[in-house]
Amino acid sequence: MTAVAPTAPPATRHPSPAPRLTRWVLRLHRPALCVWVGLVVVLSAALLWLGGPLTDASAAAWEQYNACAGASKCAYDQPAIIRYKEVYSATTFAVLALPFLVAAWAGATLTSRELETGTAQLTWAQSVSPVRWLTTKLALPATLVVAGAGLVVALHHLAWSAGKGRIDTAKSWSDVSTFYSGGPLTVALALLGLVVGVLVGLLWRRSLPALGISVVATTGVFAIVHTALPYLWPSVTQVRNRVQGAPSGAGIAVDEGILTSTGARLPNPYCGGDVFPDCRATYDKLDAVGYYRDFHPLAHYWPLQLMATALTCAIVAVLIFAAYRVLKSRTGGTPRGASTTE
Amino acid sequence: MTSSAIEATGLGKAFRRRGGWALRDCTFQLPAGRVSALVGPNGAGKSTLLALAAGLIAPSEGSVTVLGGHPAHVRPRIGFVSQDKPLYAQLTVAETLHMGADLNPDSWDADTAERVAAGGGLDLETRVRSLSGGQRTRVALALALAKRPELLLLDEPVADLDPLARHELMGTLMATAARYGTTIVMSSHVIAELEDSCDHLLLIGDGRVRLAGDIDDLLAVHSLITGPAREAATGADFDLAPHTTVESRITGRQVTALVRPAGPLPVGWQTNDLSLEALVLAHLRNPAAPPLTLGQASASASDSASASASDSTSASPTSQEATSASAMPQEEPA
Repeated sequence: MTAVAPTAPPATRHPSPAPRLTRWVLRLHRPALCVWVGLVVVLSAALLWLGGPLTDASAAAWEQYNACAGASKCAYDQPAIIRYKEVYSATTFAVLALPFLVAAWAGATLTSRELETGTAQLTWAQSVSPVRWLTTKLALPATLVVAGAGLVVALHHLAWSAGKGRIDTAKSWSDVSTFYSGGPLTVALALLGLVVGVLVGLLWRRSLPALGISVVATTGVFAIVHTALPYLWPSVTQVRNRVQGAPSGAGIAVDEGILTSTGARLPNPYCGGDVFPDCRATYDKLDAVGYYRDFHPLAHYWPLQLMATALTCAIVAVLIFAAYRVLKSRTGGTPRGASTTE
Repeated sequence: MTSSAIEATGLGKAFRRRGGWALRDCTFQLPAGRVSALVGPNGAGKSTLLALAAGLIAPSEGSVTVLGGHPAHVRPRIGFVSQDKPLYAQLTVAETLHMGADLNPDSWDADTAERVAAGGGLDLETRVRSLSGGQRTRVALALALAKRPELLLLDEPVADLDPLARHELMGTLMATAARYGTTIVMSSHVIAELEDSCDHLLLIGDGRVRLAGDIDDLLAVHSLITGPAREAATGADFDLAPHTTVESRITGRQVTALVRPAGPLPVGWQTNDLSLEALVLAHLRNPAAPPLTLGQASASASDSASASASDSTSASPTSQEATSASAMPQEEPA
């Protein structure tokens, strides 16, 4: 049987409109979209509650407590203080978990599952090129992740600021979890989780391993950024003599130790200071004349946040490039040159 | 037949994970406007070949040209249905077809989509995850056909269907293809199924082309012959040279052989009917048989070849000679 003599002309082919892939990516990931929107709404509500009524109640309780001035009996609203601390810890943890949550989801579903089940190939067998497919799979979730994480992080920063100076046990800006959860760095890390998930999915093409590897890889990059963070902006050095004692521990520490008479830096033996005779002897033997401490003061908050965000974004860019390279090596990409499509 | 739908030159694909070549050194042309069968045992490289032609994977060596261009450039003009018929399980059939319309904005034929999908009495509001194998195949074919492709690549399209559904779907497929002049390349390892619907054959085994050409021409240049196992005069084993022997089997005093005659056959040999299945099986059983590609040049002679093949039951040596001469087989060293 030979299929010849077409009785109907082939469909007219104009310079075609772009395939509408976006709505289908949204449709196919509707459950994840609902979870994300729900998470952002709940977390935002919790942070508004924290920054408003909970902070006010806790601040009032602290006023009551401080008014007692150490009296043996003091009536103050202790539950309000505890509630503030608990909600603060829980919301901070939730914000910090977002990058890993995004990595797990992206690793498990976004590319790996489609390649595993063959639905990616189904899409490419329509008029959608693999490059367009990957671009949509990156751009659409990235927009939603940045918007959601950005909102939550901003609200966390506001909630934390509201308690500053009013709640005695409010976290310092340099507290690691507070520093991360209240700045753009966490938004960049969430984006990183997404891109890691997409790349790992392209490489492993199996949903479950890709989930695990994505979370582990995101943790690894997180650790790299965290390690590099103190060195991303020039630190400030504080010097004290032996009589004054070691400098206080404010800000983000970079390095600390003892100074010799020649100005050399030595590690601190942490023997307790000049008040202890043994320690005094140790210091004398080391020719120690004082202490030094390299650290970042509060003024370095935004420079550190922005530099670390920029570093994370640079890593994201490299990973995106790698994702396109992997896809191209697998599918052959679309060579340049005149398209022969009529 | 004026042009090639698919043209491969030295095409090869190696998979690192599977540790070896799935396809190697394949050079062939598949004609446009025809229905070509891609045949080979499991693991022969059929799926790899179709995925390469559909632009879903990149070749490791060589090149493939589809509809005169790079597969990635002609994506909107190719339809492809892969062996496991992947579909989004969470969508309904109607949503799947709607997606097809959105992803093929310049060539979607909604009527064809619904006609093919709903053909088996399928409710369009059913979720894909609850479809049977046959219904899935129907939806996958609907997606591919409604794109109204110039070239349709089908990997084992009806392998998992019962005979009735298979017959019905093949009918739908062929009717739609005939209506729009679609070129079809279809893989299968069920040869009997292809014999009715295909007119061109590409047989691959161990990742290489073993046999290629118009089915009628291929049948015409081969003869299944029976004769005495030993020469009457000398008692020596019968030597079939100069004819190319694909396969010979001795049963008692008789030998049955599939040969590509190079001239008149020896007196006393009887020619039997040759089916496509027997031809393919003989080549699969004997990997050492030299590959044969009947070139595009033979196409013009295909009519006369078919004609002489059809009356070759009389096994006249002259018609055999004429056939092999007109079909111009290009044998390659094994």
